[in-house]
Amino acid sequence: MNEFVVALGWFGLYAPVALGAIGSAWGCALGGSAAIGAMLDSDGGYGRFIGVSLMPSSQVIYGIVIMFSLQQTTVDAANGAAMFGIGVLSGFTMLFTGIRQGEVLASAIHASKAKPEIFGISLAPAAVLEGFSVFALVFALVLAGTMPS
Amino acid sequence: MSNPHQYIALITSLPHLGKLFSRKEVPISQYRLRQRMAMLEPGHARRLKEMVEVTAWAGVAHMENDFEVIQRAREVIHDLAEYPDLQHLVTGRMETRTLIAALRRRRNGQDAAGAIEAWGYGRWCSMIKANWADPAFGLGHFMPWVADAHRLIRAEDHIGMERLVLTEVFRQLDHYSIAHEFDFEAVGIYVLRWIIVERWSRYNADQARNRLKALVAEALSPSGTAAVVQSVSAELFTDTSTSLEGVLP
Repeated sequence: MNEFVVALGWFGLYAPVALGAIGSAWGCALGGSAAIGAMLDSDGGYGRFIGVSLMPSSQVIYGIVIMFSLQQTTVDAANGAAMFGIGVLSGFTMLFTGIRQGEVLASAIHASKAKPEIFGISLAPAAVLEGFSVFALVFALVLAGTMPS
Repeated sequence: MSNPHQYIALITSLPHLGKLFSRKEVPISQYRLRQRMAMLEPGHARRLKEMVEVTAWAGVAHMENDFEVIQRAREVIHDLAEYPDLQHLVTGRMETRTLIAALRRRRNGQDAAGAIEAWGYGRWCSMIKANWADPAFGLGHFMPWVADAHRLIRAEDHIGMERLVLTEVFRQLDHYSIAHEFDFEAVGIYVLRWIIVERWSRYNADQARNRLKALVAEALSPSGTAAVVQSVSAELFTDTSTSLEGVLP
């Protein structure tokens, strides 16, 4: 049983990085596709399209921070379950917010191409999703501090 | 094209078409649009071509008769089984054409719908047949544009009629576009919209060309001006419809 909990602990330790990386890759691909398409139809402003399309890359960074906060000198039965719970759930949050952020960024790029004056405000939904990722990060750090070492 | 990323790139590479009648020219040329459509996978490109063929006037013009158009529309709708909204769009377009065809037939003196199955398509055939004498074929309570079309066709206001029909078709496209942002349906809806905008812009170009012709004729022969102007206006909006003519070029 202990070995199983230890295995879960390692799984939870790496989950925020792995799931965060998948979310970031997926989100950046969605936003990047929109940016590339928009560049075909625009005479300028390429930098801002590419710039916003990279916004979902923050999820993997948050995942790395969570992994380091969960890291202990040893993974054992006492801390394995906590690592699993915090790591997997925060990882799934990063995965989901990364993908959804990519989708709303694609919509924002598409809409602001037709109406450039809404470029700033169209990023608001993506910023809100970023906020949710930050919530998950902050409370994962808080809980990691209370874990038995 | 089979993954959502490529659809996103394709859709965002297409310029915004804007509101109907708000532009004097299309924001993307036919050549450029064809180039962009090369990003579609062969199966989708074929379906799109078929859909345009059966909805655009240029596509149905070479067909022998109305029944052939209807048969072709049935095949295309069956082929779009994976895309129910596109099926509804093509069906809606055929029904709109049927209503316009009925209005024109009635304007031309036909006193009954006759064998409507041979020239009409869709849900309203029995209503049209049963309410032939009604200005809106009994559909006015939920399709008020039919009564307006009846009035315009009686008044021989061809421009007004064209505007009304294009507005109705654009409204149908708007309705189905709400649920599709980055997928094959969105591409299809964009192309159908483009065809309408292009058609309207071409009318303006034709109008300008004919006006120039009239002015040149006036300059060369002042006495013949009236005749030239008459022939110009006749060319512009000649009503050479078969029963299913109507909505797209």
